[in-house]
Amino acid sequence: MTSATKRSYLIGVGFLGGLLGGLLGVGGGIVMVPLLVFVAGSSQHEAHATSLAAIIPIAVVGAARFGSAGEIDITAAVVLAVGTLVGAPLGARAMAGMSEGTLKILFGALTVVIGALMLWS
Amino acid sequence: MELSLGLIVVVLLAGFFVGFFSAMFGVGGGVIMVPFMVLVLGITQHTAEGTSLLVIIPTAIAGVLAHRRRGFVSFSHGLLLGGGGAIGACLGASFALRIEEGSLTRGFAAFVIVAGLRIASQGWKLRSPG
Repeated sequence: MTSATKRSYLIGVGFLGGLLGGLLGVGGGIVMVPLLVFVAGSSQHEAHATSLAAIIPIAVVGAARFGSAGEIDITAAVVLAVGTLVGAPLGARAMAGMSEGTLKILFGALTVVIGALMLWS
Repeated sequence: MELSLGLIVVVLLAGFFVGFFSAMFGVGGGVIMVPFMVLVLGITQHTAEGTSLLVIIPTAIAGVLAHRRRGFVSFSHGLLLGGGGAIGACLGASFALRIEEGSLTRGFAAFVIVAGLRIASQGWKLRSPG
């Protein structure tokens, strides 16, 4: 893949992640991680970390859109965020300690379950 | 939302779990947060989605900082993904606030299931050489 093709591809993957993220109020990582692995050739570890970086602008734009419609509960957000800020560094450490194979199996199993739940609801 | 002390502890624990899950799997964690807020806190669907997106901002930043120390983040890829993502998020949020999103969600769900099976089988092969 030429670098121009790869750049367009990455923008397209981000677009899909953002579309899902804005639609469901999630980050969109569940779509971006597999596409990074399949086509951009990222390792599983790199795909997780890079997806997380792309989630930041997605969440900023999404939160601004929902916020301007008055659809944010600040109290719940603050308390949740205090918890996530403690959990995130530990989750990153746990990921770093896993082998590529184990991480792929866990991520794959997780996405199958989430996909099934999305179909269900 | 009114929070009793007991509920604050529950929400803090849920947040901790979401943060761990988010950094480990490279996702925002909204998949857990949105149902949690709707089912446990009694927040409406749209407000839960907006609140989830707000919480994802500091969560993802904390995760990225931790991953960066170990050299896992490709910022050149992240920038392109994030640029496309910002446009997609704008569109997606407008859809969510205006229309029924059922068929689009089912399309994503089907993709996610197939992708998950493929990634798990890659992992399986890596763990059982030969």
